[in-house]
Amino acid sequence: MGPLIPQGIITGQWDFVIALLIGAAFGFILEASGFSSSRNIVGVFYGYNFVVLRVFFTAMIVAMVGLLFFSYFGWIDLNLVFVLPTYVNAMLLGGFIMGLGFVIGGFCPGTSYTAVAIGKIDGMVFTVGTFIGVLIFSEAFPLFENFYTANNLGGITIGEMFSVTNEVVAFIFVLMAIVAFYVTWLIEKKVRKNMTEYKFE
Amino acid sequence: MHVHELNPKRSVITMIIFVIIIIAGLLTLTNPRLKYALDPDQTISLVINDNDNISPEQLDNMMTGSTENITLIDIRNHYVFARGHIPGATNVSAVELLENDNIRWLKNLKKNGTVVIIYGEDQLEANGPWMVLQQIGFNNVKTLLGGYRYYLAINDKVSPVKEYIPEKAAYDYAEVAKVVDIEEDNNSNKKKTTIVRRKKKGKAVAGGC
Amino acid sequence: MNRNYIFLATLMILLAAGLLILPERHNYQQIKPEDLMWDIVQTQRYVTTDQVAQMIIEGDPTLELIDVRSAKEFESFSLTNTINIPLDSLMSPNYSDYLGIEDINVVFYSNDDIKADQAWVIAKRMGYNSLYVMDGGLNCWIKTIIKPIEPPETASLSEHDLYQFRKGASVYFTGAKIAAPDENNKASVKIVRRKKGAAVAGGC
Repeated sequence: MGPLIPQGIITGQWDFVIALLIGAAFGFILEASGFSSSRNIVGVFYGYNFVVLRVFFTAMIVAMVGLLFFSYFGWIDLNLVFVLPTYVNAMLLGGFIMGLGFVIGGFCPGTSYTAVAIGKIDGMVFTVGTFIGVLIFSEAFPLFENFYTANNLGGITIGEMFSVTNEVVAFIFVLMAIVAFYVTWLIEKKVRKNMTEYKFE
Repeated sequence: MHVHELNPKRSVITMIIFVIIIIAGLLTLTNPRLKYALDPDQTISLVINDNDNISPEQLDNMMTGSTENITLIDIRNHYVFARGHIPGATNVSAVELLENDNIRWLKNLKKNGTVVIIYGEDQLEANGPWMVLQQIGFNNVKTLLGGYRYYLAINDKVSPVKEYIPEKAAYDYAEVAKVVDIEEDNNSNKKKTTIVRRKKKGKAVAGGC
Repeated sequence: MNRNYIFLATLMILLAAGLLILPERHNYQQIKPEDLMWDIVQTQRYVTTDQVAQMIIEGDPTLELIDVRSAKEFESFSLTNTINIPLDSLMSPNYSDYLGIEDINVVFYSNDDIKADQAWVIAKRMGYNSLYVMDGGLNCWIKTIIKPIEPPETASLSEHDLYQFRKGASVYFTGAKIAAPDENNKASVKIVRRKKGAAVAGGC
């Protein structure tokens, strides 16, 4: 059945409509998870709040397991799903810069927009900064081009790289995530002496 | 304070919905009516070995000998079947072969150890249906070598046709493709005369104007 | 540690473990046997040797010829720009890149058309599209393209046209030396025919 657009079930003209809907949902969940607060985001760095790690790890394992089940039911053809090509050098440097920006600025690009949406001035300044950065990068792209395209592994997945099945990768990631949840919970407990456990009613 | 802190049951609810979707997927997972019993590699070795051709002589022996259970199926359409067919053949056209009733019938035949021989107009027509039947597990299905046309030709009293070997190279291709250069000269001489003739014909019409 | 979190974590591990123990089921991308049979009964997959010859001569970029005979046979003779995929290695990963390319029409051929048809059935089952079979195979290729038989004088005009095309194609495929006189002949014949047409149009 899926993916819907590559198979022509939904025509490409609906791209923007779908992007709008998904974008709205994404923004809502980011804000609802507390990602518009730079205190939450940089909390990972200072070790008192790991909500970012937990949210993204949860999203990842749920999506992974869900997609694999859907593929098993024949609802989605994973071969048609776009896999972003891996440029090793560029991604290492980019990840480093992004992490740095994360801690210094208190937002990642996506969360800065949720901060703008709830009227945070630091978020607005951050978005202006991202635009300036994008402009500089685009103008200076010829200078980095060789670095940018070097060491291209293509659209490779972890399973393909270590020649294990996707199911095994998903299982390992779920275990990793749950271990990470437990460890971060311990760290949080230690760092935040005044931390009170979330109470379920 | 975040939403999930206000109402932390939400994660549990979401997770349960997710599980319900997956369970629904497992429950609605229908098995296809017909399943492939051979994987592609097995199919390839099947067609490479290719020992499922029954020659017309063998067929005659089997039909008269009656030591073996055999069923002969004509997979051509009803009109062609009505015009002429091998005596004793049942007419089930290729598309009808996979209908529920016929699948049931074929399953029974397989259980009884009956050999099913299918034929079409020529070898090619029966090839595809034979491959499909084999791939969905009817390994008792064979084809009639050369199809109906060869059956007629070999039983032709006036001028019986020589042996039919499928996929036999009728020429030594490399030789033919080379030799043509030399033969071409003779050919072109012959051809020139013809062309002159045709030109005349053309001129005659033009002259009549 | 809250019990709900433990519940969620266990559920997630169970789901992921469920993925591991699910029985393998990789059939769904293959086409159903019913559809395969339906496609087999249709005869659109057959292309004539004339169509193939014309596509080769015109250098049709969408044409991809695949020879399913053995490598030895392939080396002794093959058509122009052909890829050799012996039938027994059709499913080998080395060759999977040649199938299923967008806007490319794959034409299988063999000595006759049985082996090519078998390759077609297998590739079709695997879900590939735009697959064709050269009707009659190389035997028919030699008979019609390399050694065309001249139709009798009484044959229809279209038959003679076809013969002329095949004659030209034969020259194209067997060597260019004889091409010059033959091409001339062919051209002159054509002109004559056209004159005839023009004369009629002129109201003679």
